[in-house]
Amino acid sequence: MIVSPQLLILGAAVIGAGVLGSVFRRAGGRTPVGMALGAAGGALGSLLFMAPLDYCTFEAERETLDVIFGMLLVVAGMALVLAPASWISERLIRRQSLISESQITTGTFKHWWLAFPLLLPTLTILVLFLYYPSVETLRLSTKLSRLGARREVSVCMDNFTRLVHDAEYLDIVGRTLWISAVIVVLSMALSLLIATMAYLPVRGASIYRVLLVWPYAISPAVAGIIFLLMFNPAGGIINHLTGQWFGVKLGWLNDPKVAPWTVILASVWKSMGFNILFYIAGLQNVPKDLIEAGAIDGAGVLRRFWHIVWPMLSPTTFFLIVTNLTYAFFETYATIDYLTPGGGPLKSTTTMMYQVVQLGIRNNDMGKAAAQSIVLFLLVIGLTLLLFRSGERRVTYGV
Amino acid sequence: MSGVTQEAVRTTTRVADWRSTLRRWIPKRWYAHVILITACFLSGIPLFYALIVSTQTNAEVFRYQFTPGTGLAENWNLVFNVRHLHDYMINSVIMAAGITFFKTLFSLLSGLAFVYFRFPGKWLVFGFVLITLMMPTEVLIIALFRFINDLNWQNTYLALIVPFTASATGTFLFRQHFASIPAELSEAAQLDGANPLQFLFRVLVPMSWNTIGALAVVQVIYAWNMYLWPNMIITNPDLQTIQTGIGALRSSGGALQFGPLMLGAVFTSLPPVLVFILLQKQFMSGFTLTRDK
Amino acid sequence: MKKLVFAALMFALVLALAVPASTIQAQDRTRVDVWIAFQDYRLDWTNEKAAEFNEMFPQYEVVITGGFSYEAVFAQVAVAAEQNQLPAVVQFFEAGTQDARDSGLFKPIADALAGRTEINGLPVDLEDFVAPVIAYYTLDGKFTSMPWNTSSSIMFSNMNFLRAAGIETPPATWGEIDAACEKIMALDNAPEYCWTFPNHGWFFEQWLAQQNALYVNNDNGRSARATEVAFNSEAGLAILKWLDDQYNKGYLYYSGAQGGDSWVTVDQSYQTQQVAMAVYSSSDTTLYTQMGLDNGFETVASFYPYNDETGWTGNLIGGATLWLVDGLDPEVEEGALTFLVYLTNTENAADWHKLTGYIAIRESANRLLEEEGWFDENPNQTVAARQLSESTVTPATSGALVGGFPAIRNVVTAAIDRVLLTDDDPAAVLEQAAADANLIIEEYNLLNAP
Repeated sequence: MIVSPQLLILGAAVIGAGVLGSVFRRAGGRTPVGMALGAAGGALGSLLFMAPLDYCTFEAERETLDVIFGMLLVVAGMALVLAPASWISERLIRRQSLISESQITTGTFKHWWLAFPLLLPTLTILVLFLYYPSVETLRLSTKLSRLGARREVSVCMDNFTRLVHDAEYLDIVGRTLWISAVIVVLSMALSLLIATMAYLPVRGASIYRVLLVWPYAISPAVAGIIFLLMFNPAGGIINHLTGQWFGVKLGWLNDPKVAPWTVILASVWKSMGFNILFYIAGLQNVPKDLIEAGAIDGAGVLRRFWHIVWPMLSPTTFFLIVTNLTYAFFETYATIDYLTPGGGPLKSTTTMMYQVVQLGIRNNDMGKAAAQSIVLFLLVIGLTLLLFRSGERRVTYGV
Repeated sequence: MSGVTQEAVRTTTRVADWRSTLRRWIPKRWYAHVILITACFLSGIPLFYALIVSTQTNAEVFRYQFTPGTGLAENWNLVFNVRHLHDYMINSVIMAAGITFFKTLFSLLSGLAFVYFRFPGKWLVFGFVLITLMMPTEVLIIALFRFINDLNWQNTYLALIVPFTASATGTFLFRQHFASIPAELSEAAQLDGANPLQFLFRVLVPMSWNTIGALAVVQVIYAWNMYLWPNMIITNPDLQTIQTGIGALRSSGGALQFGPLMLGAVFTSLPPVLVFILLQKQFMSGFTLTRDK
Repeated sequence: MKKLVFAALMFALVLALAVPASTIQAQDRTRVDVWIAFQDYRLDWTNEKAAEFNEMFPQYEVVITGGFSYEAVFAQVAVAAEQNQLPAVVQFFEAGTQDARDSGLFKPIADALAGRTEINGLPVDLEDFVAPVIAYYTLDGKFTSMPWNTSSSIMFSNMNFLRAAGIETPPATWGEIDAACEKIMALDNAPEYCWTFPNHGWFFEQWLAQQNALYVNNDNGRSARATEVAFNSEAGLAILKWLDDQYNKGYLYYSGAQGGDSWVTVDQSYQTQQVAMAVYSSSDTTLYTQMGLDNGFETVASFYPYNDETGWTGNLIGGATLWLVDGLDPEVEEGALTFLVYLTNTENAADWHKLTGYIAIRESANRLLEEEGWFDENPNQTVAARQLSESTVTPATSGALVGGFPAIRNVVTAAIDRVLLTDDDPAAVLEQAAADANLIIEEYNLLNAP
């Protein structure tokens, strides 16, 4: 062992005591109580991941990377215990309610325990099909595991350390990010333009609206199938037409530079209906007199849009970014699977989600797939938190 | 007046005439119409072309004709009589109905519990549900796959329905909605001796049809379009859902036949597109209601 | 209240539907479940045969379940085994052979037959299978699984293009392909590309076997468990370099699809006459011949082209076999065996061959087809069988036995993909592929070796 487990637990306890002690002191509670709780919490937190792993990352023959991952896991475990503990204790000491929303105090039913049978279905399902698989994903990520194999082997953090050196995987991460970004930006920008036009008092606006939004209800799978019909390089209509008109035929599905764009096109086509729908609704919330006031001030159309309408749309934009990102990360799977089954030439259409399934199901390599799932999870959570943080500052809610 | 000026006046009138005619013929905000028509055209053409191809034989497809072909009967026969696409659709209907029904029911129950009960540890339970918003099923799919196999549920409808019947989103939706209903109602109901379930189904539900409908529309489309999970967990074609089942039309005996595949694609899309167009308002409110969670 | 009743009804409905179909069975008939990996016209044919069988033997009820692909059935078996839900018979592709052996789930056909020459009145004659088939499916000296759909890789040529270029017989070697392509592509109405192949691991294996080179060590895993790949050899490199050369010259059309998904893309480019030649599996000989007739050209099938420099040793068998699950009820096992014997009898073997292009696996079936004049009328249908019977049997041409084979195939197709689409050095790509494949083997053996 490079670092002895006892030393780690001790260190964690000291840090925990420091953190919770200071929280108690600031909130006006008893510092020693906080320190004691913090020490226990910190020690427990350091064990959260390390006990199941049996401190394997700190074995003598491990590489520096393992040690770093090990330390990160210790810190993450501590944070998972200490962060909620500080939040709760601070609120308790200050006697604030733990639920922020105001609650009805009258009209509640007498037998409080009746709430539990009512909650039982939801809670059971969440525990069985979300919480348990989460823990199982963590466990699997440290194993070599195949369905139908005689045994399972523990590999410590190898499934993760391998990824750091895996140029192909890093490519996939980068590709996932840029493909998702392009889908979101392109789809939303076009939708905003079209929604603005459809919002104008033009004739037949309601007909336009219906004709514009229906592709949303098309499934990602069917989007893939229809685009396969049009864009397949051997015999597709698009190549036939471009060949006749311009003498150009693109490798829509078999050129690694073009294939991701075909996926993007199909995804944008499918997702625009949704965005248009919400932008039209968002525009309807913009007070007319505000725009007219801008017009009297003599501001140009673009300036009026940029300074008055766009800020008013920011809640819609923010909401759409979050939903579109989820779509781009996860739901494009079906489109990719029909357009370029297997993940495209040079894996050019393989997103992180697609790779997880390829590895876990097709290659029956469940441990590595679980590790990649966790990386994907961290990325999505990270992006969402980042969005929410910047969103808090930028979004203007209502008037 | 000299002839020159007369000539000038005549020209001006002619120009003015021409302008007013033009104005009559070109609608106001013509640029908006141009953009909108282009957008409608571009978003419509893939499905329109799919519709045309669904009536064609493969030979006609590769002749690139834009008129309905002669293969509809044969394609229809292959899709519905040989490949039994409707069986997959029935499976999808069962899945979508099951998910929507139970998700709504369970969300109603938990919404009721969170609003009309005060119980110790409520914040903890609430947080427990809240956190699941950050756990997309997709990233747990490998473990879920193993777990369903351990339960011996692969190739059953249970695997398609049960894991998706609990929803933090639905719970919040009803929690918010119930919280906006005056407390007097529940007091009155309790005075009448109603138990919580009676209160839920006799008082709250009739007042919540809009919210229920909104959640249902979103769920039906979501479930109908689900691909990855059924594709992984269902290996018995008799139980496969439509989104994967339509892929069976790709291997309909040799070379990829686009006609039947497109006929299948059109039929796969009809239910959600109809639901979406007809119930657009409910759909929107379903989404907007849940977004301030 | 109405709503509660409705809820209860819905719940009952879901529960009823959730009961697996397999638990409902006929009382007095012995049910024999058979899983196969087809869901197209081949499944329809098998269902027909099962219905005939059930009529002949009322004591059995054979139920066929089709699967989406070999890979899907392969994965399904691993799951079903963990739950003791295996059927009586499973169709496994050749790449699953080692996994099937390691799983210990199956019983060799020879053991189950125990030397009987008759079962339920049907004659049993294992000697009647054609020689390459017997060689391929005899493991550890025993006839292991029942041959059914057996194919080899061959080439289909659109003779309109070849004749226009003054070529009367399809090219037989890499060099001849190159020469033919030069002429074909110089035509006024040249196709877009000269030839294509599905980027499926099997085709690389075929080219390797032709050069008498091993895929994995220990005599292709036949003298001892394979521990490393051997395809990163001169022979393997030659394949990559040749494909790269053909692609760079613009002769080779590559659809970008890999593995099981690549087949249809080749069908399409051949059908639309985008290519003059297609390297493919003999499994679809009937279809390819028909595609020509439908689109106004003649299809000629020929041997799989080989490397001029190393010569031709032989080709591999491909396709899948039917495996008998171990530990069945004696009655079920008897029924399953009877069905296997029935399904592969002379008439059915001949009929199956005509329908698809899989080789007629029985000598007697070949004689029958000969007498009918089928081979004279359909010369394309003889190519695969001739190619296999002319092959010299060596460890290389017997095919590889290695764990995690499907995953290794994905590595190989990814390497070909890389060589074609990038300027990366084929030798480096091949070494990387070998390293990736070795890791798969190592991990597989760690988890599965007894």
